[in-house]
Amino acid sequence: MASGIARGRLTEERKSWRKNHPHGFVAKPETTNDGTVNLMIWHCTIPGKAGTDWEGGFFPLTMHFSEDYPSKPPKCKFPQGFFHPNVYPSGTVCLSILNEDYGWRPAITVKQILVGIQDLLDTPNPADPAQTDGYHLFCQDPVEYKKRVKLQSKQYPPIV
Amino acid sequence: MATQQQQSAIKGAKVLMVGAGGIGCELLKTLALSGFEDIHIIDMDTIEVSNLNRQFLFRRSHVGQSKAKVARDAVLRFRPHINIKSYHANVKNPEFDVDFFKQFDVVLNGLDNLDARRHVNRLCLAAEVPLVESGTTGFLGQVTVHIKGKTECYECQTKPTPKTYPVCTITSTPTKFVHCIVWAKDLLFAKLFGDKNQDNDLNVRSNNSASSSKETEDVFERAEDEDIEQYARKIYDHVFGSNIEVALSNEETWKNRRRPRPIYSKEVLPESLTQQNGSIQNSSVTDGDATVSAMSSLGLKNPQELWGLTQNSLVFVEALKLFFAKRKKEIGHLTFDKDDQLAVEVVTAAANIRAESFGIPLHSLFEAKGIAGNIVHAVATTNAIVAGLIVIEAIKVLNKDADKFRMTYCLEHPSRKMLLMPIEPYEPNPSCYVCSETPLVLEINTQKSKLRDLVDKIVKAKLGMNLPLIMHGASLLYEVGDDLDDIMVANYNANLEKSLSELPSPIVNGSILTVEDLQQELSCKINVKHREEFDEEKEPEGMVLSGWTPSPATNGESASTSNNDDAVDVTEISTGSENASKKRRLTEIQPDDHKKEAENVDSGDDDIMEIENPMMVSKKKKRVA
Repeated sequence: MASGIARGRLTEERKSWRKNHPHGFVAKPETTNDGTVNLMIWHCTIPGKAGTDWEGGFFPLTMHFSEDYPSKPPKCKFPQGFFHPNVYPSGTVCLSILNEDYGWRPAITVKQILVGIQDLLDTPNPADPAQTDGYHLFCQDPVEYKKRVKLQSKQYPPIV
Repeated sequence: MATQQQQSAIKGAKVLMVGAGGIGCELLKTLALSGFEDIHIIDMDTIEVSNLNRQFLFRRSHVGQSKAKVARDAVLRFRPHINIKSYHANVKNPEFDVDFFKQFDVVLNGLDNLDARRHVNRLCLAAEVPLVESGTTGFLGQVTVHIKGKTECYECQTKPTPKTYPVCTITSTPTKFVHCIVWAKDLLFAKLFGDKNQDNDLNVRSNNSASSSKETEDVFERAEDEDIEQYARKIYDHVFGSNIEVALSNEETWKNRRRPRPIYSKEVLPESLTQQNGSIQNSSVTDGDATVSAMSSLGLKNPQELWGLTQNSLVFVEALKLFFAKRKKEIGHLTFDKDDQLAVEVVTAAANIRAESFGIPLHSLFEAKGIAGNIVHAVATTNAIVAGLIVIEAIKVLNKDADKFRMTYCLEHPSRKMLLMPIEPYEPNPSCYVCSETPLVLEINTQKSKLRDLVDKIVKAKLGMNLPLIMHGASLLYEVGDDLDDIMVANYNANLEKSLSELPSPIVNGSILTVEDLQQELSCKINVKHREEFDEEKEPEGMVLSGWTPSPATNGESASTSNNDDAVDVTEISTGSENASKKRRLTEIQPDDHKKEAENVDSGDDDIMEIENPMMVSKKKKRVA
């Protein structure tokens, strides 16, 4: 039996987001082909920050909430192979506020998570590398790193 | 000794026991010996050999039979004249509905999982039958009393859930043995023997970095003619050797951490193992799947023995060889199972080798199995104590001694020379999703009525909602508002024209809907009852809503989030200091309505704090939230 707490909180998150959310961001429950709207999975878009190499990119992110939410954080995933030092090859984002043992607190909202991940894009944390590719270039070849980031931002144009 | 009045209450009581396992056996015996004469037992399980050490109503000859039935028969042998009815069934079956629960004076839980506990809690609330809930974990245990409207329900506070570990700790920086077990079980074992299409972060290399990824992907693919031992060594060298070297090259990671040591098979294992005892060629084991064991083919007998690096390495290679030689068909769709000997061997050996690499103490197969399978060894005495406490509370319930109800916790170490900690029950949490509101009942023809009828005639006209959200479980059926995008609007408009039973998440007899409003702080639950016909004159709307009073709407204050509308600086959150969180707990632990016992707990020693904290903290979550 599903816990009402996760759903109740997600309803509140949904309402709060609909009332007010940061410009350029998208966050909404998944709609499957049969028309089911599932509150436990959210499809989001995070815009790259203006003035950074990520600008112009609108990066798709999926949030998977468990029945233990908000005791446990949602799992946040970019597309597989997303280029960023703190993103695992599977796309899973490695970030302190998404970590039950470190920064996660049940009061953190969907909005705060998305803004936090937007911040992470341009300020990777070299102490917690999650992929070799992004990490090595970030540390060793800033020029190539910049190139790859810009290229990736072009790969995710705004959805009109 | 029970008083006369108590005796007659006990004699006349009809009780339902849910669960006939560890607690259940003790409970049934104690009930029967305390004078209870009408006992019903539900348990879906059958008896296993591993139950026999503590579930004392069962004998070896009963293995495979229904727990409920055998427990009944065993107790009837020493209390032949009482009535015991057994159900070999899942308590979640529809036959055990609200009306079934209503026939009992009290329900006693001796369950082993959260799901069934929640289910019974909800049925007891709906049937307004008192519930005595219990649980044990090793030396720890508790008994709580739940009576609708008087004490908190089982779900008024969030329950601590099994711990999960952050992926970074598991893949890169383990510090405890359990991290190595999780790595071995969820990453390595899954990669080697599980579904190949599953996401797996075993390698922190990116999939799209062309050349290197090819290499790593191929490591786990065994070529058809590849020698099994060669393959096993290649895996070994990859995961314990080169992967560690790759990790070491990330200097930043190790600035404040102990550096792991790469381990290669040639350092610990002889050139070729085929001449040794452990080779599968001279192993006598044949295709009897579950009996295949690297331990036995290596001549290792004692699962509680601590193996060194070499022995673990031998077990690892041997177990891999056995998997490919004897259980090839299963590869690709295996998941870790604590009762699968060979799987436990692979995981134990791999966790130990990784532990060695990271300077973490090694563990025996027996211990590793316990950790991997989340096994807490049951203590028969705790079960007996808890069963006794359940009966004590049940008698108070039957006598309506509400002032004397206690939640009792069994501790592992005495605190103030007491092993049992009684606490007065808390009042219901007003924002509890489960027990706070009485749901409305809507009679409606679920096949003929459309969602639009429900929205117009009930949600808007009766409940007075403006921008409603209608949910069925985790599925959103309807929303409205200018902020919605075209796709969602189209989807919801399509839903409006569908009959309730045709919706993507069909609303049928027994469905529970949650209706909220985007702006109003109003939330209602609606229980749906299907009804075929309506009287056109008396019920022109074709549906009947009951349990609803049009006067001031119930302020359904839902447990929810702190709606902090400003985007808060995230760094501030992530550095929330230890002190702050401690302070929060302390203030939380002393809400004004706390009774004497509860305060004792507050100032008590650490042992109790450990038990109490999760509950207190979770309470906090809900209130703030």
